[in-house]
Amino acid sequence: MVDAQLNKGNIERGKSRMTQRDGVEWIANLFEISPEQLTPDTLRDAISAWDSLGVLTLMASLDTDFGIVLTDDDVLTIKKVGDILDIMRRNGVLTESF
Amino acid sequence: MSGEGEKVFHGKTIVVSGASSGIGRAVAVHLARQGAGLVLIGRDRERLEETARQGNAPACRILELDLSRQTDIMPAIKDTVRAVGRLYGLCHAAGTVETLPLSATSPEKFQAMIQVNYLGGMELARAVTRRDILNEDGGSILFISAIYGLIGKPGQIAYSGSKGAVTAAARAMAIELARRNIRVNVLSPGIVRTEMTVKAFSGLTAQQVQALQDTHPLGFGSPEDVACAAAFLLSPESKWITGTNLVVDGGCSAQ
Repeated sequence: MVDAQLNKGNIERGKSRMTQRDGVEWIANLFEISPEQLTPDTLRDAISAWDSLGVLTLMASLDTDFGIVLTDDDVLTIKKVGDILDIMRRNGVLTESF
Repeated sequence: MSGEGEKVFHGKTIVVSGASSGIGRAVAVHLARQGAGLVLIGRDRERLEETARQGNAPACRILELDLSRQTDIMPAIKDTVRAVGRLYGLCHAAGTVETLPLSATSPEKFQAMIQVNYLGGMELARAVTRRDILNEDGGSILFISAIYGLIGKPGQIAYSGSKGAVTAAARAMAIELARRNIRVNVLSPGIVRTEMTVKAFSGLTAQQVQALQDTHPLGFGSPEDVACAAAFLLSPESKWITGTNLVVDGGCSAQ
């Protein structure tokens, strides 16, 4: 279970009220690929940039853009794009459900 | 080695910062004559257009950018790639220098040199090496540093710090990007006669300039001397070279 901390101030200043499509685009930009290549079911192994350094990029970007701070244990539970979207949703970043 | 007349950069597009004069212009012209498509970055459109004319590049795009405003860099590179296609490499030649003793080097003076020489180059590299921007089979990144990043001289504390930072960061970048076949190298020139150095010499006496020249056994360099070495490090002919710092200084630092 991901236990992310939320800095609402950052969300309000940043990409608050994102749709799921916005969320997918955010992830695609993070991993430097086209959004068309991603669905919530896309696995980590299918994204070349989502390697060990990519994990650090993900952690830093969630923190910088949304104030979401993940622990190392949290990161181990993230296996696919939908897991990232789920974190963003539970922290109030996304406005839509699946 | 490529055969005589072969255009080693044919089909390759390279971003050159600082392309409006000096080393950057010489590098751009040299690359263009070897077949490279160019993205020229600088603050003065007319000067960049003159560089484009001199090089007669097969394809050339001009980006008016102030590299001290790093937030402008990524959007500009993304827009450019949409127009010209994926990139092969980067030569960060933009730089600023001011000779100041430590007592006169305020935090603002340090910041001014760090902004362009270091942060501008890092953000350019971050943009150019994105997976959706660089060629999928890899590429080549080159930072133009300076021997003052390696050796000390009075009055060069801020400049040396900014150039040393580039050299150190490039080594780490080379290791990180090697798995994507992206090579990252540094070229450290000695004193080269450019508009920038001539301006820096303006406060010196003829004897002082001569004394500086005497520290270079082969004399001061020309921008073209640096451009030849830069083209080699950018080209596929140096495909097994990464994380290195090639000193091109007429023997200055060998003494």
